[in-house]
Amino acid sequence: MKDSLKSVLDWLKGKGVDYADARYVRTESESCMVSDGIVETLSRDVNVGVGIRVIDRGAWGFAAVSSLKEADIKKAANKALQTARASATTVKEKVRLTETESFRDHYKSPCEIDPFAVPTDEKIGLLLEISDRLKSNPKIKTSEASMDFYKTNKIFCSTEGSEIEQDIIESGAGYMCVAYDGNEVQKRSYPNSHRGDFATRGYEFIQGMRLLDNVDRTREEAVALLTADNCPDTVTDIIICGSQMALQVHESCGHPTELDRVLGTEISLAGGSFMQLDGLNKLKYGSDIVNIFADATIPGALGSFGYDDEGVKAQRSPIIQEGIHVGYLTSRETAPVIGRKSNGTMRADGWNRLPLIRMTNINLEPGEWELDDLIVNTRDGIFFDMNKSWSIDDKRLNFQFGVECAWEIKNGKLGRMLKNPLYTGMTPEFWNSCDAICNRKHWKIWGVPNCGKGEPMQIARVAHGAAPTRFRKVKVGVSK
Amino acid sequence: MIGQDKLFSLFEKVVKGSKADETEVVFVGSNSGLTRFANSIIHQNVNEANAKILFRTVLGKKIGVASTNSLLLSDLKATLRNSFEIAKYQKENKHFPGLPEPKEYARVETYFPATAEFGPKDRARLVKKVFIRANKRKFTTAGAFATGDGEIAVFNTKGVRCYQPVTSASINIIAMSETSSGYSVGLSRKVEDIEVVSLADIAVEKAYVGKKPKPLAAGDYEVILEPAAVAALFEWINYIGFGSKGFNDKTSFLSDKIGQKLMDDAVTIYDDGNDPSAIAMPFDFEGVPKRKVYFIEKGIGKGVVFDRTSGNKAGVESTGHGLPANEQGQGAIGLNLIVEPGNKTREELIAGVKKGLLVTRFHYINGFIDTPKAVLTGMTRDGVYLIEEGQLKHGVKNLRFTDSMLRAFSHVIGISKDRQLIPSWWDSVGCIAAPNFHLSSFKFTGTTDF
Repeated sequence: MKDSLKSVLDWLKGKGVDYADARYVRTESESCMVSDGIVETLSRDVNVGVGIRVIDRGAWGFAAVSSLKEADIKKAANKALQTARASATTVKEKVRLTETESFRDHYKSPCEIDPFAVPTDEKIGLLLEISDRLKSNPKIKTSEASMDFYKTNKIFCSTEGSEIEQDIIESGAGYMCVAYDGNEVQKRSYPNSHRGDFATRGYEFIQGMRLLDNVDRTREEAVALLTADNCPDTVTDIIICGSQMALQVHESCGHPTELDRVLGTEISLAGGSFMQLDGLNKLKYGSDIVNIFADATIPGALGSFGYDDEGVKAQRSPIIQEGIHVGYLTSRETAPVIGRKSNGTMRADGWNRLPLIRMTNINLEPGEWELDDLIVNTRDGIFFDMNKSWSIDDKRLNFQFGVECAWEIKNGKLGRMLKNPLYTGMTPEFWNSCDAICNRKHWKIWGVPNCGKGEPMQIARVAHGAAPTRFRKVKVGVSK
Repeated sequence: MIGQDKLFSLFEKVVKGSKADETEVVFVGSNSGLTRFANSIIHQNVNEANAKILFRTVLGKKIGVASTNSLLLSDLKATLRNSFEIAKYQKENKHFPGLPEPKEYARVETYFPATAEFGPKDRARLVKKVFIRANKRKFTTAGAFATGDGEIAVFNTKGVRCYQPVTSASINIIAMSETSSGYSVGLSRKVEDIEVVSLADIAVEKAYVGKKPKPLAAGDYEVILEPAAVAALFEWINYIGFGSKGFNDKTSFLSDKIGQKLMDDAVTIYDDGNDPSAIAMPFDFEGVPKRKVYFIEKGIGKGVVFDRTSGNKAGVESTGHGLPANEQGQGAIGLNLIVEPGNKTREELIAGVKKGLLVTRFHYINGFIDTPKAVLTGMTRDGVYLIEEGQLKHGVKNLRFTDSMLRAFSHVIGISKDRQLIPSWWDSVGCIAAPNFHLSSFKFTGTTDF
């Protein structure tokens, strides 16, 4: 395949293009979902093709084709070239890419047990057992348990001489149940909502999730929520669990620091950002204890890789340091705007999509607190656990999150369970009210498998390291 | 385009000799292009030629699903074998009634050659007109203009042979001043129906009227919701309430509420895949003809859509709303929603507002808060304006709403007679034909800085 890619790039060079790259991607995926003791989905997919990016006359063109015949790839290359020329009719400034080293390398994500080699019976058997046990309380109306696996082989070649092959395996699993008493409906999930937790690891990741150990608690909490009190409408101190903190970081720090959003090129769908260029190295984004890094180098984390989809090596780079906004997620095209080199965040949802700036592992660094001590230290407040709903404005300022379950904190102790909990705020005020983060013992990287961006829509698999974190004087419970 | 004869002959060849009890092949092929612009230049310009071929193999009540995007005979046969192996290891699905027998489906014209031939140069020519219209006000623009063609085929060993060639064209335009933005959108199966210059003018005018927006306190306001705002709400209402999964799981606001009054008498919404004025598609991904299904009729809860399996579970027939077999865990979903119009013009609706807000569209809605009450939250975006005594006064800064849609749509004052087709926000298929709504009460719960 590499020869076909290089041959088409030679042809484009002969046409005098400024730059071109070609990506071959083959993704094999498997999805299993059991609902109420029935295997509702058991499917496998193979998706393969080539995408070609061209800069000609200072403008971009992209074409992708599922056929691997050299003649069809060349036809796609020509379409990318002609499309770049159509784009060039509106160019004001020619596209300029920051320099990057050329690599010849082969990256493989860590994998001890190939999930595609694990017998189907074993995977379904586990999901069926979970589903059955979730349904053992008659108030559970629905149970769902799922596993998803992806095996991707990609080859990237560019007119600058890079030849990079990557093999990445991703695994994930989770379950949820819905309790119903004829009037109220409540839900609990494990280990996270929205299909669970994910990593760039093999089936050993699923084995380490303690799925069966948490079934009974998950089920009984869903049922208990049916008779819990509503979360009050008030302003109070809150402690947010690690998995919900992951989404908080995702929505209010990850997205607004994508430099393409800042520069306005994602406005047509997802929107812009309040974190404008004049705030770089100045904006007091959060309190002094808030440190957030983009780190694609963590072995096994869902947002890790060897190289991004324009051939830039994976990196760790600071985004927020001691509360100050110090960095963006960048690409070769956007990084020169802030006088830097790309920090390697361009990824595409397959061969048929243009790479965009995507989150990698955007991690809130751990603090120093033990969780028990933090609760004892909180006089009155609410503990928020596991995401249920999310919404944020198009510049990432006003957000509102709902979680599955909350507990009142009274005089430093967890008290009654609360249902339908929501909290809301404005991003910088909220992060500046952060006064305690739990330590590394409570810190974990959460895979987020469903980050949407771009037109046509692309789904990225990203991750966030986070620990339970406290915020002061937050508005909660606005659902009435 | 491959054409139905070649496709069905290929599938006959592939399934010949299969030991499965029943086999289904679903083909979705497309040639699409999308020109994306921002800061009044084209910055992303993409083309894609792709296909998905999905096999569902049935052994008794065991189902195996496998798919590929390769049309090579060897790859297709390997994928069929893969689906057979999966089926062997499957557990029985007691609700699965088997693959459908062939049925007549409506003949609807959905393919228009001029749209299929519309290329990047054509899109660039029209996009430049958008830039010129905005530049007259010194505004910049962002948006996306997509055109393409495709073909959908459903084949099964019980004789189903459904085939539909399609084209589509859509554009979204955001015009921006330094302090405001305006939005417009167009969607059709025919590119010549997309009036790009008029849409640019709408977005520019909205941004102009909304300049220097003033803050407004959150609270309960009378509202005019324009079609894009209405469609965004009903897209979520559809997702949490009008599908079979939520209905069977009891998480839908329609579960156990069929026949009950849920919204104002003026509200009627249904799904109709055969309506040629929308984005028609006359059969589903199981090859079942689409039926017209009323969700809410004159404010009364009427029903939801089903595929064959979810319908069998609920004791009813499929309504022709099945998704591809690898997505059927989500249940059936309506993709062609139509909200019945009223009898007023948009201007008459605005003239009837004493003090309220005109909302162009919503952003990042979420409906998982309390699905039995259809509580949604989201932000306004790209143009929200204060109306006093029937007159647009000025733009206001964006607001967050959190409200039960059953409550909000029980306070209808009027509905416009004009409707607009709005594409789905999160999917490349699906649309809603929506009018303007005048509601007497809509709860805004938060504000933002722009």
